[in-house]
Amino acid sequence: MPKPDKPDKHAAASQAVDILEEIAAMLNCHMDRRMLSTCISLIEQGVHPESLVQVIKELREIADETRREQQEAAIANSRR
Amino acid sequence: MAPDRVANALDNLITQIVPSRGPNEGQDSWQARYNLSHELVRAIINSPPDPDILSDVDRAADSIKRKLIQSNPSHALRFSDLYSRLLAVPVLKSKWAILYLLYALADSPDPKAPPPPLSIIQPSSSNYREAVARDAVKKRARARSKSIPLTRIEDDPMGEAKIEPSETAILRDLPFTLQGVSSTTLPFTREDMLKLPPSLPLPLVSILHTLAEPSLLYRRLDAFCQTPANGLLAQSLRSAISNELRSYLTLVATLEGQIRKALSLLDENAPRGGIGNTGVTLKRCVVWTREATMGLRLLSLIAEESENKKGGQIITLIHNFASSNGDPVVAAFAERLLGSFTRPWYGILRHWIYDGELSDPSLEFFVREQTDNEDTLRIKGNVWEDKYEIAQDMVPSIISQEFAQKIFLIGKSLNFIRHSCSDSLWVEDYSKAASKELRYGDTATVEVWIDEAYKTTMKRLMDLMETKFRLFVHLQALKDYILLGQGDFIALLMESLAANLDRPSGSQYRHTLTAQLEHAIRGSNAQYDSPEVLRRLDARMLQLSHGDIGWDCFTLEYKIDAPVDVVVTEWGNRQYLKVFNFLWRIKRVEFVLLSTWRECMTGSRRVLQSPNPAVVQTWKSTRGVLAEMIHFVGQLQYYILFEVIESSWGELQKRIRKEDCTLDDVIEAHRRYLEDITHKGLLGPKLRHHPSDNKERTTYLDQLSEILRFMLHYRDTIVGLYSWTSAEYTRRQEAELRNITRRDDDGGLASSDDVPSEFPALQERLRQLGTSFRTRLQILLGDLAYQPDVDMRFLGVAMNFNDVYQPARRKSKTASTASAAAAAAASTNTAKP
Repeated sequence: MPKPDKPDKHAAASQAVDILEEIAAMLNCHMDRRMLSTCISLIEQGVHPESLVQVIKELREIADETRREQQEAAIANSRR
Repeated sequence: MAPDRVANALDNLITQIVPSRGPNEGQDSWQARYNLSHELVRAIINSPPDPDILSDVDRAADSIKRKLIQSNPSHALRFSDLYSRLLAVPVLKSKWAILYLLYALADSPDPKAPPPPLSIIQPSSSNYREAVARDAVKKRARARSKSIPLTRIEDDPMGEAKIEPSETAILRDLPFTLQGVSSTTLPFTREDMLKLPPSLPLPLVSILHTLAEPSLLYRRLDAFCQTPANGLLAQSLRSAISNELRSYLTLVATLEGQIRKALSLLDENAPRGGIGNTGVTLKRCVVWTREATMGLRLLSLIAEESENKKGGQIITLIHNFASSNGDPVVAAFAERLLGSFTRPWYGILRHWIYDGELSDPSLEFFVREQTDNEDTLRIKGNVWEDKYEIAQDMVPSIISQEFAQKIFLIGKSLNFIRHSCSDSLWVEDYSKAASKELRYGDTATVEVWIDEAYKTTMKRLMDLMETKFRLFVHLQALKDYILLGQGDFIALLMESLAANLDRPSGSQYRHTLTAQLEHAIRGSNAQYDSPEVLRRLDARMLQLSHGDIGWDCFTLEYKIDAPVDVVVTEWGNRQYLKVFNFLWRIKRVEFVLLSTWRECMTGSRRVLQSPNPAVVQTWKSTRGVLAEMIHFVGQLQYYILFEVIESSWGELQKRIRKEDCTLDDVIEAHRRYLEDITHKGLLGPKLRHHPSDNKERTTYLDQLSEILRFMLHYRDTIVGLYSWTSAEYTRRQEAELRNITRRDDDGGLASSDDVPSEFPALQERLRQLGTSFRTRLQILLGDLAYQPDVDMRFLGVAMNFNDVYQPARRKSKTASTASAAAAAAASTNTAKP
């Protein structure tokens, strides 16, 4: 890769992420910038979006469950 | 290489979403969770994707847009903007897939929010801001839970400390915004939409909302002023509004000066950029523009509502704000607007009341030229009534209805004087002398001036009518000749025409009629009347059916030409004709009866003497009936000529000689005069009793015609009797002579008795006619006795002052309405035989 090209491309990429972030905010997707760029790179690698949607949904469910468990544990602790 | 990067990225994703190990959580449980996630992810990624999804970038974008339009239209607009920018970015390969991903994840529950059991409300930064701007109620509900603003600020991608763009930047751009010009921070995305930077905190957004109102209103009004106006008043409204806008711009300019001054003094190091110390903040700007905003609001309301109104209606609209709005600021504002806005209207008004010309190209004045009259004859016939009209809905509320009528009359009269009375010289002099500048505001003065103009024009018009066109002379002449007021003239005319008119109508010639008319004028006092009047008098035959005799179709005519014909209209002429024909018929019957009476009287000395007592008796009763008839006709004539015409004439005189009488009043008085005459003179088309009573009820006119016809028949029979009696007389004379000469001869006396006599037939006919006359008269008297009009009742009394007749009352009158029909049927049945 030629060197002078790189910052240009970088700026373009960050601009794209900016735009997508705003769209995500409008759509209430609840994705922060980091997560969004991860997703973008996944898709750029050829992951099918449908699968990715499933992945994110599943992971969020797990996260939800975990958090609830943690909370219950915390409440149990404080009562003790 | 690539699968490696995918695995890495997925790892990242898992760590980002799945929470890290909690403080009191075992290593193994976390590890288990982690492994589970990994397996799950891998399984999903490796399974083949749904082939249904089309990899079309526009499709994904479309579905997002549709979704946004449903939830928030302003976002949809913003999205199109972002989308086009995204397409321009070169780096991404599969944009559709990313958009699809976002679309699929739209409105997913917030993973960072506290889990459901603990929290009821789950605000997220963007929709929170949204909802606040829209819905104050929700705002209050949220403010109750204090923890939420904190979460919001944490969520805010920009963070709280740095407001982007800063208040100073906004302040710098504010004057442009207030003038409706786009700036970097506050661009106008559409004609009526101002885009606020998405990254501003809530309080600032609400302030900017307030400031956006005058900006948007200004833009709209500016656009309104540029639109082409249809009509002078709409134009003037635009000009008045742009005047107001100019003063608004002056305010903005002052504001800008203040802002510039404040910004130059700005201290970068002070908190919030030191903006608090300079004295100019966004909040201050809100306060300063508040009054202007109210004005703009009112203006835009007026502009909007005036769209489909015109002329006087716009004035009414604004005047309503000025007069009936409770807010004194609004009222004063509207009042100010009216002052400059109504100028063209007053221009039209001035032209109308001082020149009598309607210069209203776009039909905004409340006086309109009537256009829908297709037959030119009618327009020509009645310039006064049909040329102009008032459009009630265009009368502005700044003048009263009565006043509008006055203004209408002034202009109409001036126009009439100028065009119909050909006296434009006076109108010009008058407009030069009296013309005054009319303006809105000083209503009292305007009214005084208009009153003045009203008086002057009316006086002039009446003066013209009286002196130049001799309206009153004509009315007098109409009464004298057409209503038979000039007795000697009518008597002479009838006498000279009588022989002529007995012949059928086919053999009446105009030249003989006019010659007789001339003779009647020369021989009576009419000769002293002015030639102007006599010139207009004409005798002619009506177009009647074949076989009538001259009496039926003869008519006198009095020609009326413009401009007097606005008073004596076509309708009036018809009424005059009707009255004349009726009176002429009565006069004729009277004439005939009187001449018959005369003949009888002279004849009774000689030829009518008879030795036969039956004949003598018949003559006696005939004379009695004849006297009755003469009495009847005399009373009728007296009634119509004196009770009706003279008294109505007196009334008319009283009305038209009043001090402030207008042409309209004269027309109305004359109409009433004619109506009185036709109604009271028994010519009215009114049914006798209840209008709903019966269809077969005849009018007085029909009844009277019938009675008059009986009289004529009676007279014919008398003539027959007369000739029979005189023939009998001569035969008797001859017989006597024969007796003397042939005294010596025998026989021959019996021959006279053998002559077939028509006497019984005549006697029978006379008796029959006499009784039917009497019955009809009694019915008439019965009807008259129950007239609401006193004069008409009086006629009945005068005819029957010694109760010689028994007024016949119809049964149906006394009966209740239920039995009325039956009674009517019965009466018709009995009437038939």
